[in-house]
Amino acid sequence: MNRTFLALVTKEIIAFFRSWGLVAVVLYSFTLDIYIAGKGIEIQAKNVSVGYVDRTAGALSGKILARLHAPEFKTPVRFPSRKALYNAIRNRKIMVGLIFDTDFSREFYRGGPARIDLLLDAITASQSFQALNYLQNIVLDFSRTQVHVKLKIHKLFNQNARTSWFMSLAELLSITTLLGVILTAAVFVREKENGTWDIMLLMPIDPRITILAKSLSQVLILMGGIFLATGLILFGTFDLPINGSLAAFFLLSFFYAFTSAGIGLFVAAVSRSMLQVAQMAILIMMPMIFLSGAWTPIHAMHPLLQKLSLLSPLRYYIEGSESIFFRGTPWGDLWPYFAGVILLGGMLYYYGFRKIGKLF
Amino acid sequence: MSPAALRVEKVTVRYGNTVAIEEASLEADRGEIIGLIGADGAGKSSLLHAIAGVGRFQGEILFEGHAYHSPKEAEPLKPHIGLMPQGIGLVLYRNLTVGEHLDFFADIRNLKRNEAFLSYRERLLEMAGLAPFTDRPAGKLSGGMMQKLSLICTLLHRPKLLILDEPTTGVDPLSRLELWEILDNIRREEGTVALISTAYMQEAARMDRIHLFDSGRIIARGTAEALLAGVRNYSYEPVPCPSERCIQTGHYTYALDPIDAPKKEPTLEALFFVHALQEGRRIPPIEVSPRESDEAIPSLVMEARGLTKRFGSFVADDHIDMRLQSGEILGLLGANGAGKTTFIKMLLGLYPIDGGELTLLGRPIRSAEDRRHLKSRIGYVSQHFALYKDMTVRENLLYFAQMHRLPLTRALPRIQRLAEELGFAPYMEALPSELPLGINQRFSLAAAILHEPVVLFLDEPTSGVDAIARSQFWQLLQRLKEVWGIAILITTHYMSEAEYCDRVVLLKQGRKIADDTPQHLMARYPEAKSFEEAFLQLYKEKVI
Amino acid sequence: MNWGVVRAYMRKEILELLRSKMIIIVYILPTFIIILFGYGIRLEVTHARTLIIDHDQSKLSRDLTERFMHSRYFDARLFRGTEQEALHRIKQAKTEILLIIPQGFERRLLHGLRGEIAAFVDGAFPIRGETMSNYVKGEIFHAAQSVAPDLAPRITLDNRNLFNQAMRDEDAIVPGLFGLILLVAPAILSALLIVKEKEEGTIFNFYASPVRKSEFLLAKLTPAFLLHSLNILILFLWATWLFQVPFRGSFTLYWLASELYILISLGIGLLVSIVTRTQIVAIVLTVIITIIPGFLYSGMLMPISSMSGESVIEAHIYPVMYYNHIVYDAFLIGQGLDAPKIRLYLLILTLYAAAILALGSALMKKELR
Repeated sequence: MNRTFLALVTKEIIAFFRSWGLVAVVLYSFTLDIYIAGKGIEIQAKNVSVGYVDRTAGALSGKILARLHAPEFKTPVRFPSRKALYNAIRNRKIMVGLIFDTDFSREFYRGGPARIDLLLDAITASQSFQALNYLQNIVLDFSRTQVHVKLKIHKLFNQNARTSWFMSLAELLSITTLLGVILTAAVFVREKENGTWDIMLLMPIDPRITILAKSLSQVLILMGGIFLATGLILFGTFDLPINGSLAAFFLLSFFYAFTSAGIGLFVAAVSRSMLQVAQMAILIMMPMIFLSGAWTPIHAMHPLLQKLSLLSPLRYYIEGSESIFFRGTPWGDLWPYFAGVILLGGMLYYYGFRKIGKLF
Repeated sequence: MSPAALRVEKVTVRYGNTVAIEEASLEADRGEIIGLIGADGAGKSSLLHAIAGVGRFQGEILFEGHAYHSPKEAEPLKPHIGLMPQGIGLVLYRNLTVGEHLDFFADIRNLKRNEAFLSYRERLLEMAGLAPFTDRPAGKLSGGMMQKLSLICTLLHRPKLLILDEPTTGVDPLSRLELWEILDNIRREEGTVALISTAYMQEAARMDRIHLFDSGRIIARGTAEALLAGVRNYSYEPVPCPSERCIQTGHYTYALDPIDAPKKEPTLEALFFVHALQEGRRIPPIEVSPRESDEAIPSLVMEARGLTKRFGSFVADDHIDMRLQSGEILGLLGANGAGKTTFIKMLLGLYPIDGGELTLLGRPIRSAEDRRHLKSRIGYVSQHFALYKDMTVRENLLYFAQMHRLPLTRALPRIQRLAEELGFAPYMEALPSELPLGINQRFSLAAAILHEPVVLFLDEPTSGVDAIARSQFWQLLQRLKEVWGIAILITTHYMSEAEYCDRVVLLKQGRKIADDTPQHLMARYPEAKSFEEAFLQLYKEKVI
Repeated sequence: MNWGVVRAYMRKEILELLRSKMIIIVYILPTFIIILFGYGIRLEVTHARTLIIDHDQSKLSRDLTERFMHSRYFDARLFRGTEQEALHRIKQAKTEILLIIPQGFERRLLHGLRGEIAAFVDGAFPIRGETMSNYVKGEIFHAAQSVAPDLAPRITLDNRNLFNQAMRDEDAIVPGLFGLILLVAPAILSALLIVKEKEEGTIFNFYASPVRKSEFLLAKLTPAFLLHSLNILILFLWATWLFQVPFRGSFTLYWLASELYILISLGIGLLVSIVTRTQIVAIVLTVIITIIPGFLYSGMLMPISSMSGESVIEAHIYPVMYYNHIVYDAFLIGQGLDAPKIRLYLLILTLYAAAILALGSALMKKELR
């Protein structure tokens, strides 16, 4: 019994390493894809392009403009007229336009308030908002306004607001889901496609053992991918902090890998070809990732969607992993995530298990 | 004398570093059927693709005075060429109906929808027996019907050069006969040059000239009669071989040096054996060691009474009775869609049984539980020898051994022994996809008998395998039957193979129409020259 | 060009698309993506869960607390436990912001001294963390001004948010999705249409017949082009009706650019189908080469003007940037063909489409490989 189980697992792992296409896809997903996701999308406003029209003598405005520098701002570009500046914004060459009117410096030395007209391309709303904030701080600082309340902000867990930390982790978790489903489904559907399905059924093995061994083999491959991505990309490239227990993360990942394998079993039960597997997987995965809070915090969702998100096991996995990496939540407080993943995952796995079991 | 309509000169086709066909030349006249015979991978398809102008080649091809050296140069001839590539229903769109196919093929060939076209279309449909099915999607046709549809789609524009790549492989004898009737009519009426490759030697006899292919070269050519004359001297009644330069098969012994045995009229298959001998290839006789297990084999291995399988309103198997004894090879024959595969799958438990009783190895089968205990005593080889492509031969065999819980100490020597006896020992570390079909076939048989089953089910294990490999495979089955004393149930499309069976059962449209020894069946039709002819007579007589 | 042949091939394509349910992918996928991402990507923060520990218990501190409680950006409530407990709740992801108003806060302010408030913000989700701390700053700054109105700043910024006054996420994100969707979906379809025939063997009907390469490609790409052209309208309706994105520009411009862009996407699919043999590989390859640039160079998350170094060059290589510029213009800016840059980009899209289709048909061979 133990030996046949081992043989089944070994066979799947050998088959995986022999199909170089699959290996390439898995390697790509767990390394380069996560790297691109972490590196590529920088939502922090940087290199904001600034244009200005200056109708003053230039001394004061020059001092203000000098404060707009890298990494937040590109060197400001001068425009001859308000119209030219406006046009540049419409053509999206410039995101922020500053207009210093003739009486600007006079008003300022008289004690203010001196007005700067600000034209803001608000199409990329969040970046525009951040740019506005930067400018406000610069202007406040410049006019040495004494605000008597001092605010000391501690940004917990990710002081420098590094998008790469969050994005790379979220991508790793999404990839785990996607590959868990596709790899597991592929193991079964490949047997259907290659005609070995009948042979598999005719082996004197309890079907439950076969299903369990086959899904475990893919869970092991996933865990390998997670180890690789964590070491090479999360820690190796992006220097993620680990404030909690790494063991807790791997344990949670292990349970979660079974969850996505369970979905894979279901997909395998209803698909005949790899093409159908790909289509089904996308249709199931997209809402699941959407509801998980990977892209948008759950509390920012529509209340109905918030309720629905309670049903997505990925939600618990993502929140749990964030807590472990960034918040440093101790073991004792991680139980809701473990409970969510194990409970929902257990149900999904059981359902997929039954569904594919009917084909045996 | 006018020059030949088609002249192929020194055509070579390469894929990367491998040479598929080397310096092949042939000629054909109008109205002639040129046969290409050879095993899988001998280079037939590559040559046909080159002639059809769909694949690149070196050399020159001349058709009706127009020379071409590449697919591009062949373009002006395409209106006159018809190609039916290898593979059942390969050129059909499964969602399109029969009628839509004919319209599509007519339209892309820009055919005028005039009186002549419509009556020709009607005649083709009639000939193919597809007239009642014009609204059926191609995906729902049987294999034989698909091939007939592909053929009439290829014929629709009355090509002057017709190229058919194994149009009959995997097709039952009846459909095969019908395909040939269509072909014969057309070439006579249209003066078409037809190039046809086939794996069935009986068909080769209907061709005007034959070319024999072996590993990328044409090794012999001529009329069937001339070719037979060349090997007649080497063909004897089956007797044990006295010397090295000799092969014994089920029905013949071929020897290069004269031996002391009565001569026997050869078939075209003899060409391959004699060629192999002349090349100096050794084909050792096959031996099988006795079973290790001393488990007794019940004399009645399988008994089916009134076994029935329905798919919706379609009855695939209709009240079939059958008995299988130990030490017996039972052949299950019938047209495509007659219910052979369905029957085997019912026996194996891959399809639930809709009616009737089944007793396997003395145990009535009513539930999955009943089957569980039997799985370790049954062996199965499916169509296309489905084995795991990502694992080497050795890994595959080890995997199967472990599935059957053979201890390693017993499994390893047994795998080694089978590999040597079945002749695939040199290929143990290769992946199945790198091996010729004949080796794959023996190695899947090894996987199926590794656990020493008492009954073996084989579903078309010989389709597409070359003559020598097929003959060896049958020797192997004979030895297994004799030495192991087990029961073997096999389906096949090669009627010449049916003669190796102890008993055959014929199915037609889901019903059993005959159950007898091949000798008795032959005796019923004294005018039949071969078992195939007897089979066809019987099949036509029995109307369901 | 023989139109009868093209028509016959096209009829077959359309019948197959309808019967094989591939049509579902054609129309479900784009709608699926726009709804999912349109709702899914939210950068704006509302209802940030905030705990306030008020050690001061003065009128001023209560005013400040009130402010937070009435803001739509925060779900604030007073917390009576210790700081440790409150911080622990952030670790449990039960709260996102913690404000601590120290004892003597009001008194210090009234004496003209500085009062110091400590804020703890969950930065695990960086964009959200950044936005939340900005909101907190703003809220406290306004509160401080209302206490000491004489301290008005000497410079004010009079900002006009162009094109998206309310800074709605929908306006920013949804038009940016067009370039992604119309890059991925038509490319997948056109790649599949050809690879499917290669994988199943029906491509022989083309190879062995006198059908010309141009006829074959026209027959393959036209149905895909026409079917996806309807998506131009469907996406437009989702954006304007479901997501209430304003449409200020020229519909003709939007439509024209989209048709050109679909041609480019079909061309990418064509190139994929030339190098692949199986449908699954074709899908994976198409997705990999279209989704990432479709996102990165869409301009919805990061303006092209903020890019630097090689990413500027990459952005100019992919067609997404040109198309999205026109889409944003059509929806939010409304310059239309008056602007030279729009005319230039339209020209670039036209040349791009012509070049990629020409390349595809040049590389495609009417023979086995």
